[in-house]
Parts: sequence; C-alpha cells; structure tokens
Amino acid sequence: MAVEKYRSAHEMNSAPIRVPLGDSFERFLRHCARYWRLSPRRYPRGVFKFRTVEEAQAARDQVAKVGMGPSQP
Amino acid sequence: MDRDELLRVLRAFEAEGLEYVLIGATAMGFHGLVRATEDIDLIVRATPENLTRLRRSLQTAYPDDPHIEQIRDADLLGEYPSVRYYPPTGDLFLDVMTRLGDSASYDTVEAEIKEIEGIRVRVATPAALFRLKRDTIRPLDHQDAAALARRFHLKEGD
Repeated sequence: MAVEKYRSAHEMNSAPIRVPLGDSFERFLRHCARYWRLSPRRYPRGVFKFRTVEEAQAARDQVAKVGMGPSQP
Repeated sequence: MDRDELLRVLRAFEAEGLEYVLIGATAMGFHGLVRATEDIDLIVRATPENLTRLRRSLQTAYPDDPHIEQIRDADLLGEYPSVRYYPPTGDLFLDVMTRLGDSASYDTVEAEIKEIEGIRVRVATPAALFRLKRDTIRPLDHQDAAALARRFHLKEGD
C-alpha cells in the first residue's frame, strides 16, 4: 500500500513498519549508507576491550562525540 | 555500513565455521526492522577453538591487519567479555561478545538461520532480541524493544 492514513501521530508511530518480504535487509543497508553520508564518523583503528556492556557503550558515545576513539589500552 | 564489506565478513564467518549469533540493529535489519547502525554485534561461543575461527575469519576479511591478533582468548574468556574491533576500512566496527549481562551467551540466545546472497547467517530471533534490548539501560534499545514488540506481537513475558 503506497499511502497509509492515521488519525494521530501516536497512531502512526505505533504502526508496524512495513517492509516487503525479501527486501528488508537491502533496505537496511541502503538506510545505513544514507546515514553514513549524512553523519560520517572518524573511527580509531584496532582492538579495544571492555569488562561490561556499559563500558563499551561509554566508549562508543565518546567516539560519536569527538569523531575519534579512545586511546588504545 | 558498506554492503560488500558486511557480506565479506559474513561470508568469512561461514567459511571458517564460526559459531556466532548476530544481535543488535543488523539482526533487526534481517527481521525487517530498519534503523541505521555502524556496527555488527555478535555473540560468539566462548571456546578457544571458536575464538581461533573468529581471528581467522577476520584475517580473511581484512588481510594483513595486525590488530586482529590483539583479540585474545585470555580477554574474551576472562574478564573482558566484550571486544570492539575497528577494521582498517573505517566504515563499520564489530562488537564481539562472549557473554552479555548475567545470562546471555551463545548457548542461551535463540537464533534462526537467514540467508543473503547464499550466505547463511545465524540471527537472534525477534523474541531473543526483544529480551536482550528490553533489559538494557540504553534508551535506543528500549525503542528497539518497543518496535520488536509491535512488529512481532511480543509481550513482557516473551
């Protein structure tokens, strides 16, 4: 269906995302490529290790903030 | 995330027989829930043999990157269950985990096989992703959990 109608923004946001079967992963990849073009990042190189997911998340946030990674352990 | 690079990594995982489960936004992409991400999150079976497969597959995907040797058994099987690898291409990164929180591991996360361009990919099921994302502290994960719940009619107890 090309057009979907909703009575409110809430109803629209709660609607399932409709992606044709068999095409969803390609669409995901295209979406990631667009995101990268809009918001390019500068990543560090190499391997970093973390004791917890929270530590890993904090390091990721740091990369997002400054466009560079933490210093290598 | 570069399409060809992602496929090269997944192909290398399959060729080496890596025991892994894809989680995170890339896994959601396989289930038809589309949001942008820069990383490939995976839980691998925590054995020395499997970690050797992991290093071999990354060496296949990224030949001559000396950093791969820094992914050490002692870390992933010890007090560092989470390792982030930034390949030389700079387009994406991999978060490799041997366990997640108190209970999630290769053996406990339900998975199913998806296929892309003939590559078999072991992807966490929507219900498994829902449980993983529901229990974290990150707001983005809660949004993902809500989207999974809506799309796959999942409830709190699932």
